[in-house]
Amino acid sequence: MRYVLPLVLLLASGSGWSAPSDLVGQPAADFALRSLSHDNIRLSEQVGEVVLLNFWATWCGPCRQEMPLLEEIYQKYRRAGLVLLSVNIDEDAAQAAEMARTLGVSYPVLMDSRHEVAKAYQIGVMPVTVLIDRAGTIRYVSEGFKPGYESRYTDKLRELLNE
Amino acid sequence: MLRTLTAVLLWLLVSAASAQDAARTTDELKSLDQEVQALKKEVLDLNRELFVLEEELLFPANTQVAVFVSMDVGEFFALDSVTLKIDNKEVANYLYTEREAQALLKGAVHRVYVGNLKAGEHELIAIFTGKGPHARDYRRGATVKLEKGVGAKYVELKISDRAVRAQPEFIVKQWE
Repeated sequence: MRYVLPLVLLLASGSGWSAPSDLVGQPAADFALRSLSHDNIRLSEQVGEVVLLNFWATWCGPCRQEMPLLEEIYQKYRRAGLVLLSVNIDEDAAQAAEMARTLGVSYPVLMDSRHEVAKAYQIGVMPVTVLIDRAGTIRYVSEGFKPGYESRYTDKLRELLNE
Repeated sequence: MLRTLTAVLLWLLVSAASAQDAARTTDELKSLDQEVQALKKEVLDLNRELFVLEEELLFPANTQVAVFVSMDVGEFFALDSVTLKIDNKEVANYLYTEREAQALLKGAVHRVYVGNLKAGEHELIAIFTGKGPHARDYRRGATVKLEKGVGAKYVELKISDRAVRAQPEFIVKQWE
């Protein structure tokens, strides 16, 4: 039994398992998704702005804690050039819309029910927050959420907005 | 007097030498700048050639098929998405943003799909959705029989409302 974990890690290291954090420094994969307000939004059209991408799902408890804090960050920094796009992976858009409304979210919520964008960003756990700089490069990835993480986002965000 | 003359002569010699140095430095800088510009041009040319080569390798002319979308609408029509299926398999599903839809209205052409097909008969199904005048939803489709020969095949799907006013339809054009 004591050999199982090292064996798993050994297999994992050679198996090509990747994580979103491997994407730091890479160009952000472009995509277009429909928002809950029925606009189509394309990531590459945001070049020149700092983008915060947040992946979430209605079944994700930490997402419920994180989203109101993201709303505060959005309200504070949108005039400084922050674009906040949240990507929901549920198949039922109505559920996602209800949760967003309950949590008081005003930033765009994009529906990725086919999970194509989630695959492109190697999303395994929820939530995942990705910060993309003005040139379209991924600069920071945070997997999961615990209270206090939002201050890491704002620190990194300020750095990118000041570039 | 002699000392003054010597000092002046020395000063003149030093000035001449430094002027020569400055001129040499300027010439060297100019030459370096020209080399850098030439190198930059070579890199750009190489990049373009590599791109063309990549396209030729991935989509050789004998199997290449490309589908383009364009618009020719008189009344307002906001294109939302285009879906393509070839031989019942979905090959493209493109969402158009407001900016892209505006570009199409202004005459832009979008290559929505490029892929490979074997020679022979194939079926292309194209569906577009959008909003017309008075925010009315539109969903239209077209089925196209493709006869793939030895050369590259191009299909243009023009969304037009010329035939029936304010009723956008696909007009299909094929060429090789």
